[in-house]
Amino acid sequence: MVYYLIICRSLTYAQRTAQVLERVGIPGWVQRSPKLISKEGCGYCVRIPERRLADALTVLRREGMSPKQVFLQTAEGEYSEVKS
Amino acid sequence: MIYLDSAATTLEKPGTVPRACAWAMTHLASPGRGGHAPGMGAGELMYQMREQAARLFHVDDPERVVLTSNATHGLNIAIRSLVGPGGTVVISGYEHNAVTRPVHAIPEVKVKVAGGPLFDSEGVYAAFEREVTPGVDAVICNHVSNVFGFVQPVERIARLCRERGVPLIVDASQSAGVLNVDMEGWGAAFVAMPGHKGLYGPQGTGLLLCGSQTRPVLFGGTGSLSAQQEMPDFLPDRLEAGTHNVCGAAGLLEGMKFVARTGAGRIHRHEQMLAGRMMDTLERCPGITVFRGNNGSQSGLYSIVLDGLDCEEAGAALAKRGIAVRAGLHCAPLAHRTAGTLDTGTVRFSFSAFNRRDQAERAAEAVRELVRAAKK
Repeated sequence: MVYYLIICRSLTYAQRTAQVLERVGIPGWVQRSPKLISKEGCGYCVRIPERRLADALTVLRREGMSPKQVFLQTAEGEYSEVKS
Repeated sequence: MIYLDSAATTLEKPGTVPRACAWAMTHLASPGRGGHAPGMGAGELMYQMREQAARLFHVDDPERVVLTSNATHGLNIAIRSLVGPGGTVVISGYEHNAVTRPVHAIPEVKVKVAGGPLFDSEGVYAAFEREVTPGVDAVICNHVSNVFGFVQPVERIARLCRERGVPLIVDASQSAGVLNVDMEGWGAAFVAMPGHKGLYGPQGTGLLLCGSQTRPVLFGGTGSLSAQQEMPDFLPDRLEAGTHNVCGAAGLLEGMKFVARTGAGRIHRHEQMLAGRMMDTLERCPGITVFRGNNGSQSGLYSIVLDGLDCEEAGAALAKRGIAVRAGLHCAPLAHRTAGTLDTGTVRFSFSAFNRRDQAERAAEAVRELVRAAKK
């Protein structure tokens, strides 16, 4: 499976992000950010399904919650940053 | 025992509170510290707690709800965030040491006291109008006096502060859970409150609602931005260094749910009714001075002075009769000075949602017995 990881500044912010997405029917899972992409140290991200990224970004921008960074996680476990 | 010291700590809690604390102790770990179920569960609980508080106190964003150890902790953060050495602060004449001591500890601080007569909202407001001038760094005011139950005109003071561009810190220690605490409506810089009084949470919990830039008083791990040495610049992490009191937060969440279910207004009316009945009885008894407000200027707590009887002795005598009250200066010498009771202190009676009418009546009778015995 391929996922997008929306990087959040804190656990609370990740929870809020997931909640905003959930309200519009986009499933989001709060999880620890992989160390490889978490350059500032420990952090949390929201994982969303591959096909929901555009909708998610639209909703988050509308709520004034533009993500810090977004990464694509491939089925092989590799990460690449997505410029939104 | 008849417990009438809820202004210090509510002793009887909704049954869900201790159950939640005990459950959290063995099922939840540290929020923001791990991706495993007990860690994520703790994070979820903390978020629910913040959301519940945000709803109760009209905060637009749960991130602005910070868990503290108590109201004093929150007030220290708030004061340190706004007032530096040589700063100027306006405080009401009814402040607790939780405000006056942290202010006093700031080097070369200038403190202006907006003191008005007890239960005189107009007088208090007029004092603030005089003292809140350009150059004031912060106004600090409690919503309800912890000694006399005096409801200060916080809404009007908040409007005044907004008009004059001065940040406001509200100490909602005696109002959270009974009166409308309206962070957004007031436009306050900070509102601090304990979890263990009118919110029916456990001791060791408090909340700080933040509407301003903050300055941490405690530094350490937050589970975020761990590669950098500065504290994060975002809430709540900025003010929540170290492992959270998750068990306390679990109890506090249940306490706030109880308040939301029951209705703060209903709890307030119940406490006022009990206080009113007791004051009615005591006012008729010679030798007792009852400090009583009118026209909604008093919450459900009040103080008395007994002629010829030391307040601490009265408190001890009541304790022997199974009635728990608080006597002395209530950590609020400024309030006593303003009201003219600094030399005598007072005996304070405070109620909770769980007190009953017969308890108020029995307590009133016990006080009358004390007075009768003192006269012999």
